[in-house]
Amino acid sequence: MSVETATLKNGKTLQFNSDMIGDGAMKEVYFTTDRKKVVCFFKDPQAGSDRLRVQRLDFILGKYNPTLPRDAGGAASSAGDAAFYSNLFCWPTDIVTQPRFGIVTATYPNNFFFETGPDFIKGKEKNGVRFLGRRNRQLLEKLAPRELGTWINYFKLCITMTRAVARLHLAGLSHSDLSPNNVLVDPVGGSSIVIDIDSLVVPGLFPPDVLGTKGYIAPEVLSTLPLKFDDPKRQHPSARTDEHALAVLIYQYLLLRHPLDGRRIPPGNTAEEQDALQYGSQAIFCEHPTDDSNRVEEPNSVPNTCLGPLLPDLFKRAFVDGLHQPHRRPSANEWLKALIKTWDLLTPCANAQCPQKWHVFDAQKRQCPFCGTVARQPVPVLRLRYEAKPGQWLADGQLVVYDKLYLMKWHAFARLFPGPETDRTPQGYFAWHEGQWLLINQNLTSLTTSAGNRVPPGQAVALTHGSQIRLSQEPNGRIVEVQLQ
Amino acid sequence: MADMGRRLPVYLLLDCSGSMAGEPIEAIRQGVRALLSDLRGDPQALETAYLSVITFSSSAQQVVPLTELLSFQEPPLAAGGSTALGEALKVLEKCLDSEVRKSTPTQKGDWKPLIFLMTDGQPTDNWETQANILKQKRVGNIIACAAGPGADTNVLKKVTEIVVQITNLNPDDLKAFFKWVSSSVKSTSQSVGQTPAENTPVALPPPPPQITIVP
Repeated sequence: MSVETATLKNGKTLQFNSDMIGDGAMKEVYFTTDRKKVVCFFKDPQAGSDRLRVQRLDFILGKYNPTLPRDAGGAASSAGDAAFYSNLFCWPTDIVTQPRFGIVTATYPNNFFFETGPDFIKGKEKNGVRFLGRRNRQLLEKLAPRELGTWINYFKLCITMTRAVARLHLAGLSHSDLSPNNVLVDPVGGSSIVIDIDSLVVPGLFPPDVLGTKGYIAPEVLSTLPLKFDDPKRQHPSARTDEHALAVLIYQYLLLRHPLDGRRIPPGNTAEEQDALQYGSQAIFCEHPTDDSNRVEEPNSVPNTCLGPLLPDLFKRAFVDGLHQPHRRPSANEWLKALIKTWDLLTPCANAQCPQKWHVFDAQKRQCPFCGTVARQPVPVLRLRYEAKPGQWLADGQLVVYDKLYLMKWHAFARLFPGPETDRTPQGYFAWHEGQWLLINQNLTSLTTSAGNRVPPGQAVALTHGSQIRLSQEPNGRIVEVQLQ
Repeated sequence: MADMGRRLPVYLLLDCSGSMAGEPIEAIRQGVRALLSDLRGDPQALETAYLSVITFSSSAQQVVPLTELLSFQEPPLAAGGSTALGEALKVLEKCLDSEVRKSTPTQKGDWKPLIFLMTDGQPTDNWETQANILKQKRVGNIIACAAGPGADTNVLKKVTEIVVQITNLNPDDLKAFFKWVSSSVKSTSQSVGQTPAENTPVALPPPPPQITIVP
């Protein structure tokens, strides 16, 4: 091994080790000597003289870059905004001009490498296929079960992944090849990171490099593939096709099956022909409400309707209404809102042996959809209300309470969305204490019971069926109505 | 994943004739080992790729049946004898018929197999009939590698459109070939099943500099 020097476009230099650590289809990857960054050289010797490619990279690193503050030439509104999105993307930081054309990115954070398992698992990147592929998952179950994490963390990583995609779309960018290969996930901690940013599609500047990945390409792209590239009917990867891939990924991580993969076998004499139809022009949702031809074979599969009041509607729009009509698909932002609202409905399973340990609470069934266990004691559900007009209080969501759950600012106040720069200081927490449910106030200055008593920070209010609590008297402060269900 | 039932069958047809004795056969052993370890580390390959080895010298035999990567045991390879390419192709045809699942109205079959054929010399048996049969059956994507100065690219061109050449039988070049095989399997196991034309060759990653494509 020897140490070599790379010259960056900004004139600075960087030392890297000559031993190649990764060899992809497009790039060769090397560690910098401090191992904090990686240098990726494009294999295509023409890459550096391709004016459009260079321009695209300039844009991606600069004015479209959500991990760089605006005053430094990026797209982030502040240092905090930039830091927030830095955790969701592995964004390139520099362009390399010598000895070859390439880019520099940060090394993936440690939690995206397996900590346990045999040598073909331990130390490898947590590519999503490791958790979604049937064979890969079986291997993890056998050889590194701790790496599988729990269901709530898959839910969490769906939120981080959706945030990332929503941010790209907000800027008018599209990823164009969203797949488990390009989103590393950590089901132990519940986070994700979007990688391979350099092939992003910058509208008007650079068409997509790739068609996408098997199983994640939108039906309209697949079914118009036989047309010539410049045929006006030919569909290319775009934000609309990202929305398809995103919906597939969310469905897969939450239910561990592919939404278009059921018992139906499309016509065709080869795997390639059959697949082109299965994921293309003849794609059918395995949970289609009226067409049951593509149902999954597994008898105990959990239906998507177990995912609360919001997500099933979005799955229907993604895989029924919008499957072949891209404009009807839910946007990444709609997914994000629905996931975050549904997050507030999660409840731990009463069965300590439950394989998933968490599920979305259903007040009618009161039962875990994964293991069938019924809730043993009443579950407090807070109906959230906000004052739409003076004196007019409207319902806008619910919070299902469990022991040690934090009450956050966006619960206490309406018109506040948990975004990049939202105050994440807990406002209070819930506890099961001596036979009753309590809300312990930490930071709410005007928490008031229905009897009009102020509950100062450090004190608690009991959650009794039918009681109302005003979380804050300040503007947009919510009222919650307690129901024990 | 996308379709959990389908497999990507990968066949290695390795010339073990006398001329491979010594360094070359050792390089091939190491190449197979490196290929296996590389593919096992790749989640997409792990999900779909199955591997088989057919060797040929004075005769041909399947030394490892189509096996998933984790159960695959490296075969003992020994060099000696002549170059029964025709028989090797016949064994391949048989294996493809019996091992690769066909897609039918009631079954989701396997992906089109990837077949890597490596030889360093002139075939010593009647190979042309068998080459024609394989070509007509379009059984899979055959990639032939003419290894070293003694290999005949004209022969290989009659077996398949895709022929590559490594000019020397040195260990580094052979290693580079197996590395390229590995990249090809990885990219095939994740790329789209494009269907436009039946006879379009599979898109493989560009080979390293030691390997040249024979036009």
